[in-house]
Amino acid sequence: MTVLAEPNEQVELATMPDLPPDRRTTKTTVSKLAQTRWSGLFIFFLAIVISAIYGGFHSGFPTSLVPNIATWFNSIANWITVHQSTAPFFVHFLTPIGNWLGNSVNALTDVLNWLSWPGVIAVFAGTAVLSGKWRVGIFVVIAMIYFGLIGLWAASMSTLALMSVAVLISVVLGVPLGIAAAASRVVEEAIRPVLDLMQMLPAFAYLVPIVLLFGIGNAGGIIATVIYAIAPVIRLTMLGIHSVPYETVEAGKSFGSNRWQLLRKVQLPMALKPIVLGINQVIMMALSVVVIASMIGTGGLGDPILQALSIVDVGDALVAGVAIVFLAMILDRIVSAVAENVGRNVSSKGQRQLISPRNLRILVGAFVIVAIALGNLVGGGGSFPPGLSLSLSSPVNSFLSFLQSHLYHFSSMPIIGGTSNLSSFTTLEILNPLTRILGDIPWWLAIFGTGVIGYLIAGWRRAVLVCIGVTAIGVLGMWTDASVTLAQVLIALVMCLAIGIPLGICAYWWPTLEKVLRPILDVLQTMPAFVYLIPVVLFFSVGNMAGVTASFVYALAPAVRLTNLGLRQIKVDMIEAGNSFGATRLQMLRKVELPAARSTIILAINQTIMLVLAEVIVAGLVGAGGLGYDVVVGLGRDEFGLGLSAGLAIVVLGIVFDRLTQGRPAGRRG
Amino acid sequence: MSIKSSRALRLKRLVRWGGAIAAGTVLLSACGSSSSSTATTAPKPTITLVTNSWEGSLANNVVAQYVIEKDLHYPVKLLDLAEIPAWPATASGSVSAVLEVWGHYNHYQTYVVGNHEVINAGLEGPTGNIGWYIPTYLLKSHPELATWQGVKADWQLFVTPQTAPQGEFLDGAPSYVTNDAALVKTLGINMKVVYAGSEAAQLSQIETAYKAKKPIIFYWYTPQYFNHVYSFSQVTLPPFTQACAKLPAADINCAYPPYYLYKIMNSKLPTTAPSVAKFIQAFNWTAADQNSVSYDMAVNKLSGPAAAAKFVNSHQSLVQSWINGAPTAKKAPVLGT
Repeated sequence: MTVLAEPNEQVELATMPDLPPDRRTTKTTVSKLAQTRWSGLFIFFLAIVISAIYGGFHSGFPTSLVPNIATWFNSIANWITVHQSTAPFFVHFLTPIGNWLGNSVNALTDVLNWLSWPGVIAVFAGTAVLSGKWRVGIFVVIAMIYFGLIGLWAASMSTLALMSVAVLISVVLGVPLGIAAAASRVVEEAIRPVLDLMQMLPAFAYLVPIVLLFGIGNAGGIIATVIYAIAPVIRLTMLGIHSVPYETVEAGKSFGSNRWQLLRKVQLPMALKPIVLGINQVIMMALSVVVIASMIGTGGLGDPILQALSIVDVGDALVAGVAIVFLAMILDRIVSAVAENVGRNVSSKGQRQLISPRNLRILVGAFVIVAIALGNLVGGGGSFPPGLSLSLSSPVNSFLSFLQSHLYHFSSMPIIGGTSNLSSFTTLEILNPLTRILGDIPWWLAIFGTGVIGYLIAGWRRAVLVCIGVTAIGVLGMWTDASVTLAQVLIALVMCLAIGIPLGICAYWWPTLEKVLRPILDVLQTMPAFVYLIPVVLFFSVGNMAGVTASFVYALAPAVRLTNLGLRQIKVDMIEAGNSFGATRLQMLRKVELPAARSTIILAINQTIMLVLAEVIVAGLVGAGGLGYDVVVGLGRDEFGLGLSAGLAIVVLGIVFDRLTQGRPAGRRG
Repeated sequence: MSIKSSRALRLKRLVRWGGAIAAGTVLLSACGSSSSSTATTAPKPTITLVTNSWEGSLANNVVAQYVIEKDLHYPVKLLDLAEIPAWPATASGSVSAVLEVWGHYNHYQTYVVGNHEVINAGLEGPTGNIGWYIPTYLLKSHPELATWQGVKADWQLFVTPQTAPQGEFLDGAPSYVTNDAALVKTLGINMKVVYAGSEAAQLSQIETAYKAKKPIIFYWYTPQYFNHVYSFSQVTLPPFTQACAKLPAADINCAYPPYYLYKIMNSKLPTTAPSVAKFIQAFNWTAADQNSVSYDMAVNKLSGPAAAAKFVNSHQSLVQSWINGAPTAKKAPVLGT
């Protein structure tokens, strides 16, 4: 994670979701390490011998060590159910909060409706233009007209309102929390595991209690969204303030600034860029919960996707999915444009422009007023004229059915023989055996085995943490299902890296490819997974291969992007030196470029695993079983305890992987 | 420093704008809450009906919406919601009614029998029939598959990579309670249950097999409009008995009980919207009625209101009986459903 210390890099790295926390390096001296190694090894072997005698060579986790955690969780949920309408804490505290949240979304929706559709487009496009981004303005106009053309204007506005409130709340809560965490080590240490938990615990696992506490609809939707999406803004605020150079802070102090002034005049302005990136991340993550929020009655763009699923209509789902992607892009680009405009320094504004800024402002203002007036006078108001609608779903469906009939079956492709065969082969020869092997490992061997791996790549502290984590999965009662999920996660990871890293290298060699890939990767990351649930099954059949494919599609982006980024960040003189020795392109790659980009590529692996784990739920929706299915059952069958236990097991898996792939805290260079 | 101070200035402006927007939102939400409080005192509250993940649920709702809006003059909102959250939502009144409930014995005990926040609004009409199904074309080559004994003998037909060396039994959405894992075990069938995890995934899998005329056996139910798109046949299981229903979940060895689909509504609905409450209690139709509306929407791609109008116009007397008729009979869900 040392890459994050360099300011110009951290900015681009931060555009990846689920940015892992930056680790402060803890240095251990060599002699101390040697001491702990021997005593540690002794304890370690003792533990193996004892547990082997206790556990024998049976597979699975001993049931005597599994307390009935799920039942405890269930009794909590039951208590809430019974007391929800009577206990004062719910009636006088949570219910009013829920109502207030719901009303603020309704009010914002009313404003958007009053603006009317031409007005909304004018306001958003105008904001972009005033920030100096003509291209963004044009994109906004096209994307918003798309909302209307597909007949989802009202749904888009209701999602826009919900997301705006959720993002605003995330920022209002997140920035101060980030500042507090940057100022105090204690707060930081306390906050970090909570952020990990919020980001990795699947929303499915806590939807039912949220409904019980805050009710259905917008209130519950906002809470679920904020829980999932707030982490990046806290992390990046913290990171931004940490990355303000020491000298600058000292200079501020020497002018006699107090702590508050220092924060307001020096630290916050200089951390603005990472904070804005944090907000952008919040937007992206918030938009990825839209469909899940629809399951608890928020309405909006998630509804058409859920309805399309119930009649197996991929075309309808895709059309609405694209609207979600567009909405994410509009919010993302506009926030960036505004922030860039605010942060831009004076000198660059002196350029000659076609229209003076003042006139531009008047022009845009007039345009907005005319648009609102037109929208309200000509009628329709909030709704888009229904006559102007476009049916995109049936061509999509016929294309998909064409693809399936040509790719699925036996004879359709040379060598591989169709996706159906590819799926059978992977399932029979790779996934099933791996699942069996992982499931058959005696529990004590699994715990200490991962401990050894942890020790080798990350040192003692991490090894202990990893052992505790693996044990926790067993204690949660999720041992068998975790091994099913683990096998899929590993295969998806291998696929992502095997395809993503070469793609990243190719994009580094040929910049045109990079330009082509960028929007595709954007779409892969923001398109709701519910949209490709059916296609994945159509090509790979219900089962673990379908789950692996869904995870692969979602998690490919960081592997490509971070590899590419790592290579592009190599200093020019290193490459020059390599060239002057007459190295060929492949030699350069092997001897100079890949070693230099090593830490970023490790980060790519880390990020890919995090995204694969985030997709475990979707794997559960296409028949891959494992932890994802348990979480889905938890919501579907009112088994809150089971869902939460499985969700926590996913979090633990994530933390174990994260700590392992972050490598040795001290760093080999240190 | 000049650059920095201008940045600080801009930041300040940003913060001010942000503050203004936040304040605006608060104000607006205050207006919003005041307007909504006047709405509750208004004579016509909005009726909210829950749409669940299956198409039949939407069919019920579009027709009910059409009648309530046209004849009873209440505004209606259809809300997509998962089955479980629908119960606390109906209890709290944020949902007015659910027109098709399958089982939910435990929720029924909590909210209807327990705290009386939800009312049983009577039977909807169709009987939910859960069971084991195969595509009808399979019966031509393997007539013995009509019963579970035949399935037991022919398990090799259903072997897939996912379950090899066993046969695959395909289950669907996890929110639908299944006994299939117990059934294959207690009936001694060499099969493994694969949980598709969602109905969409299960249907896609069935469609793929159907197009290629391949063997497949799966958990399915009626009423479902897909039964009119494809031809499925039910596999006979050992008959359902009360004694069997009392067995532990893992030991169940008989067919699924019939599900008498019923309606629920918020307990205050009869006072806030009496005519709607009366309508909901009288609402009753057949599986064929529901399927025809579902089919119009899902296959013929009619919009909800258009499909509803088509149905209502051709079933005037039925619709009148919902508005003026007596409430339908009531049946509480039984244990195990």
